[in-house]
Amino acid sequence: MSKKYILGVFNDEATLVDAFEKIKAKGILPTEVYTPYPIHEILEGMGKKTRITHAAFFYGLFAAVGILSFLTYAAVIDWPLHYGGKPFNAFPSFIVVTIVATILSITLLTLFTFSARAKIFPGKKADIFHERATDDKFVIVLDPEKLGDNAKAVEEIIREHGEVE
Amino acid sequence: MYNSKVRGKLIEGDKSLGQISQEILAPIHRKKPPLWWYAALLVSLSMFGFGLYAKYVTISTGIGTWGVNNSIAWGWAIINFVWWIGIGHAGTAFSIFLLILRQKWRTAINRAAEAMTVVAVFCASLFPLLHMGRPWLFFWIFPYPNTRGPLWVNFNSPLFWDFVAISAYLLISASFWYFGMVPDFATIRDTAKSKVKKAVYGFFSFGWTGSSKEWLRFEGLSFVLGGIAAVLVVSVHSIVSTDFAVSVKPGWHTTIFPPYFVVGAIFSGFAMVLTLVITMRGLYKMNDFITDSHVDAVCRILIFISLIMGTAYVTEVFMAWYSANDYEFSLFFKTRLFGEYAFQFWAMFIANAVIPQLFWFKAVRRRMWVVFVISIIINIGMWFERFNIVVTSLSRDYLPSAWASYSPTWVEIAFFTGTIGMFITGVLLFFRYIPMIAISELKSVAKFDKPNNGQLKSTGHE
Repeated sequence: MSKKYILGVFNDEATLVDAFEKIKAKGILPTEVYTPYPIHEILEGMGKKTRITHAAFFYGLFAAVGILSFLTYAAVIDWPLHYGGKPFNAFPSFIVVTIVATILSITLLTLFTFSARAKIFPGKKADIFHERATDDKFVIVLDPEKLGDNAKAVEEIIREHGEVE
Repeated sequence: MYNSKVRGKLIEGDKSLGQISQEILAPIHRKKPPLWWYAALLVSLSMFGFGLYAKYVTISTGIGTWGVNNSIAWGWAIINFVWWIGIGHAGTAFSIFLLILRQKWRTAINRAAEAMTVVAVFCASLFPLLHMGRPWLFFWIFPYPNTRGPLWVNFNSPLFWDFVAISAYLLISASFWYFGMVPDFATIRDTAKSKVKKAVYGFFSFGWTGSSKEWLRFEGLSFVLGGIAAVLVVSVHSIVSTDFAVSVKPGWHTTIFPPYFVVGAIFSGFAMVLTLVITMRGLYKMNDFITDSHVDAVCRILIFISLIMGTAYVTEVFMAWYSANDYEFSLFFKTRLFGEYAFQFWAMFIANAVIPQLFWFKAVRRRMWVVFVISIIINIGMWFERFNIVVTSLSRDYLPSAWASYSPTWVEIAFFTGTIGMFITGVLLFFRYIPMIAISELKSVAKFDKPNNGQLKSTGHE
């Protein structure tokens, strides 16, 4: 990375959230925040929303309709066969496969969506700002160009509980 | 969030976050595993090899090498299949149900439970595969355009439902497990000293950095997967039970089967989880993460499930009498309770409905070796339950001319031994190469052991 960033490094969740909120109060949104586990204040504070649950719903809807239509097509239209006197369109017994295969489709499609959107895939090289952000440090990354006149004030906020790197 | 003081601490010893990763990752970061690990691997691999030989005999000679016959066409293979699938239920049950119930103590155990699930379901899937007789034609069960005659498979058949359910369950539980591990793999990548480990875990960590964007979508993903996998916990074993319940056989053709199977599956799965976590405590000194109160909580759940199991057994017997159906009555009273298979019935009843009631006593729940022994007894009992269901009903059909007895041959025993070997091998590899406790999840609950929940200001929610 050629660009220079300011890193605020904290030891626990509480001090991170405190500093994060104070920086936000100054009207500055950090470029990114790195934490060892999800912290809801940060996820909400960063202002991003995920639509992955909506995507999953539509995957499920299309999968369910698609699978049920396939079963009906195969068993009723394409090659009808009598099984133990049951009607060709044995609707209730199609439901079992529809449910399970829908769940499978939702899972796989949502995983691929996640992989594509979060850019998480096998063998990707990680852009690591701070070695210990996956271990025990909580890191706020700030773009110095966006700080402007607030640079000093922000540094003070970070120094209250953390360190600047 | 509700915080009760009843459960005791989630993590003992007031650890820092760094300490948590260090202690959980210690078995992975050390250069060589301990000697017992190699010894255990040798034993489990030789069991696995024995199983492979049995598979070779089965495939090269045929199903005739098994003890199954025309009447009892489902022998050990299906018993073991249902047994393994049952064990494989714990992973999802643990992660999902306890997630929905907001039980924070699940964080220390769910990784191990899910690992167990994946290996157990894999073991299970081998049995129907080889029971097909011509396993190299297994792909005939896929509904795809072909030139064989009846073009499509029979969508009304529970055996097809079962195939869909098991393959879906294997794929879903494996991906659920894997994505839960991605952040932990990143932790290994960033704390490992050796270059090889850095590269390998770097590859498997998918470039995870822990940024808020990643966590946001990760949370969304867990929400979706958790929500829909909850349906699976109930559906998979219900479908397995329809393999039996949809047929018209005395003792099988009952509506109690789906709930009875699901509860039984969770029962054996939780028992196997206990076996596994007590092993982890013993061998890897994970006592601070899997505390006495964790084990205690699982034991309490087992008491409850054991009561349901006992009720189910008694209900079946009662209905056999109350229905006034001659075939049901004769099956239950002349074959199961008293008769050729009485030993298997009473072994099942005592091991599943009676012995786990010892968990009412605190003295029992506190003694790890007693808990360990009972967890093994439950798993043996659950195996006998499947024996009871599969063999007794088939051995006493409607026509006395179709009555038969069954005992396994060495090939079936070797096959089963092989899957146990495979399971133990899988667990050993899991101990060595995968963080056996979900580190990031555990860290997220660590603050609840601190005063004020680790907040700067008191939140007023105490």
